[in-house]
Amino acid sequence: MTQPMATPSTSAPSAPAEWVHLTSIPFAGGTVERYRLPNGLLVLLHEDHSAPVVTYHTWFRVGSRHEKPGKTGLAHLFEHLMFNETEGLKAGEFDKKLEENGAESNAATWVDWTYYYESLPKERLDLAIKLESERMSRLVLREPQVASEKDVVANERRYRVDDDVEGAASEVLYKTAFTVHPYHWPTIGWMEDILAFTPEDCLNFYRTFYAPNNAVVVVCGDVRAKAVLGKIAKAYAHIPASHIPPEDIQPEPPQREPREVTLKKPTTSAKVYVAFRGPAFGDVDHATLTVLNEILFGGRASRAHRILVSEKEMATDIRGWVSTFTHPGLYEMNVTARPPHGAEELERELYAIVEAVKAEVVTQEELDRAKARLELSLLQSLDTAGGKAEQMGFYETMLGDPAGAFRRLEAYQRVTVGEIRTAARRYLQTESRSVVRVLPEEEGPDADADGASDAAEGEVAE
Amino acid sequence: MTIERLEVAGTPVVVERDPRIPLVSMSFMFRTGGASDPQGKDGLLRLMLRGLRRGSGGRDALAFEAAVDALGGEMSAEVFTSSCGVHAQVISRNLEPFMELVGQMLGDPRFPEEDVRRLRQESIAEIVDARDSDRELANLALRRGLFGAHPFGRLAAGRVSTLEKLGRGDLVAAHQAHVRAANMVVGFAGDITAEVAARITEKLIAGLPAGPAPESALPEPVQAKGRRLFFVDKPERSQTQVLVGRLGTHARDVDHFPLVVANAAFGGTFTARLMREVRSKRGWSYGAYARLALERARHSFSMWTFPAAESAAECLALELELLGAFYKEGITEKERSFFGKYLSRSFAFDIDTAQKRIGQALDVDTLDLPADFYSSYRAHLDAVTREQANEAVRARLSPDDLVIAVVGTQATLLDAVQKAIPDLAETTIVPFDAD
Repeated sequence: MTQPMATPSTSAPSAPAEWVHLTSIPFAGGTVERYRLPNGLLVLLHEDHSAPVVTYHTWFRVGSRHEKPGKTGLAHLFEHLMFNETEGLKAGEFDKKLEENGAESNAATWVDWTYYYESLPKERLDLAIKLESERMSRLVLREPQVASEKDVVANERRYRVDDDVEGAASEVLYKTAFTVHPYHWPTIGWMEDILAFTPEDCLNFYRTFYAPNNAVVVVCGDVRAKAVLGKIAKAYAHIPASHIPPEDIQPEPPQREPREVTLKKPTTSAKVYVAFRGPAFGDVDHATLTVLNEILFGGRASRAHRILVSEKEMATDIRGWVSTFTHPGLYEMNVTARPPHGAEELERELYAIVEAVKAEVVTQEELDRAKARLELSLLQSLDTAGGKAEQMGFYETMLGDPAGAFRRLEAYQRVTVGEIRTAARRYLQTESRSVVRVLPEEEGPDADADGASDAAEGEVAE
Repeated sequence: MTIERLEVAGTPVVVERDPRIPLVSMSFMFRTGGASDPQGKDGLLRLMLRGLRRGSGGRDALAFEAAVDALGGEMSAEVFTSSCGVHAQVISRNLEPFMELVGQMLGDPRFPEEDVRRLRQESIAEIVDARDSDRELANLALRRGLFGAHPFGRLAAGRVSTLEKLGRGDLVAAHQAHVRAANMVVGFAGDITAEVAARITEKLIAGLPAGPAPESALPEPVQAKGRRLFFVDKPERSQTQVLVGRLGTHARDVDHFPLVVANAAFGGTFTARLMREVRSKRGWSYGAYARLALERARHSFSMWTFPAAESAAECLALELELLGAFYKEGITEKERSFFGKYLSRSFAFDIDTAQKRIGQALDVDTLDLPADFYSSYRAHLDAVTREQANEAVRARLSPDDLVIAVVGTQATLLDAVQKAIPDLAETTIVPFDAD
């Protein structure tokens, strides 16, 4: 399923006067229409009449990358606070109104963005427009709400990180691989920062980043564009744009030596989290490495699965991921050992697999399989209105192209075996590698009762 | 949005065409699940289904996986408590060659000795890995506490001790017994017509083991008396998984929909009582939910929280109080109206894709649901009165007979948890790495 490039539209639905129609882009058998209001609010509209539902996404270009040391976790805490009181809605009313109308609603925060969504029966779209415009400009941030939500987030952190082996290891991995760039800290934030936030911190963050000129609204579902645009203009046109400060981030300096950390955890099997410094999502190498990752880790016929799980029976779980971040991120490779095999043995095997793709080109058959798997994966993500809205919102926020997923698919199709080897040589370098080993507590010569908490501090050995 | 219902050589086939995305989804479901594993052979059905992929039709396991990938296909096997099956998706231009693979896999699996051994070892290792998940440990403790020796107490994933004893012969026998047309229902959704679905199903059925459907009837589980604590002891827990459960309803029970509405008001949504009291007011737990499980026989009602260890006892005490008040006073008319509307309106998202609608049609068959369970779902909910909801709560959810599963560190938490449970009848300590 390929998509032609965007063309200036002469057949776009007529929009109310205040809107500027930017482009009309083919998307999943229809089009996505891009519009902008004078205050900077960007709206993406995709009509999909296959089910009587609509999904309303609001993406803000703010994530944990925009935080400062000492204030980590603010973007995520803020996501929680957005479900609280507004000037027009008492605490708890927001969720009540959505539930009463049968809506699904949630939000997510990551390093580069935060998004909120509501999926509703189509005749209830007005509610999403009203609630989202209300909380974009009239959120109430007071001590009781902030204090209670801090506790909830602290519990979320315990659940996802402190008592979760994978969550804890992932946190240490990024902390180790990044030293000055904000990807160093976890999106959920350090516990001491979470517990120290004040309503003033939250208010400053809100006034800066929650504004129409920092947002993308995506409407996808059984609606008619003209009516939706009229309603959105009425609800948002009066909200002033904010001054988004220029980004003030130190790029991560090149890594010259491998880094490693060993953690002791109450787990029954060793785990190895290896990461090489990777490209930014917008970099041409990102698509190439994504295809390589599919060859190495995608499915049971992939190299790592075949060698580590099937043939050598050393691992139970293998995963690879090229981080999809605005700035250069990591190429992560995670392996869980099958006892009695241990972390070091597994690492050696993993590095042999890595070295092999640097030395020899992969086979054409491996490449074709990877491309077919990536095509299937994109098609699967377009099954629901919510899935389509997420694709459009993510690609618009990251690359300024709501149909970017299809462009990526075309890029995957163009990748050659030679390009894969070059990308492997460029990125999979020993000196730019960070490793977190997780060992069962009873394993190793220095295991003691305090092992886990000491190790969890993440001493970096260079 | 039209589901076509066919019968192909006696096997029900449901099809919904949706050609917007060039993808075909399919499910081959069987009316037997983990509860049908023989006594002492927990995990057999799952091992057999996973073994289907380890070679068939002249291909070994690796060649089979490579062939699936090359076609832009994907397969997964699932074993639920009372049903199991294989789901697959493929880019529609490759449907025909993909169906050859599916047919060979279901009809002619080889189960090579060496692959069975590997699969068994993989499955055992995964069970050991799953002990990293406190949530999973709590689920296991609750199930064992609630169902004991009832087939629902068997673990579809198996136990280390039961998997160790399974061999190739067991898998061959399980395949011959369960993967039969008479035990199967089939669903297709996406870029496929009913004619094509019928043709490929007919071909597939011709290659399956013959014979009648295996026994799939399940005895009714019995609610044990008293409040019983199953404490899973795991070191260094800063957070505590807490599940509180008892038997619930079956979809055939006249009070099922009334209990669904009452449960939603108690703990089914973000604004329900549990979430409001535990998270919104006190910030004790990130999540706080109650749910009713749907299986072929009566299964469970349960509530789930995961507070910090220092608030676990208080949180549990509060949950028991809330359950007590719910039992005694039921829900208000305002709650019935609010949550009834929520359930009825949000049903739109249970049926917003062809794949989901086909999934429901298959569930009706595999879980013995009333024929109009989903087709009249909204009408069932809208008809529930407050009196019916509260009668259902009183009939089904006595707080006197409960299983309480807690995952925490015994040395620092057990005492406080025991004190938080009035009239606690018995405590069982379970090591987190127990079989």
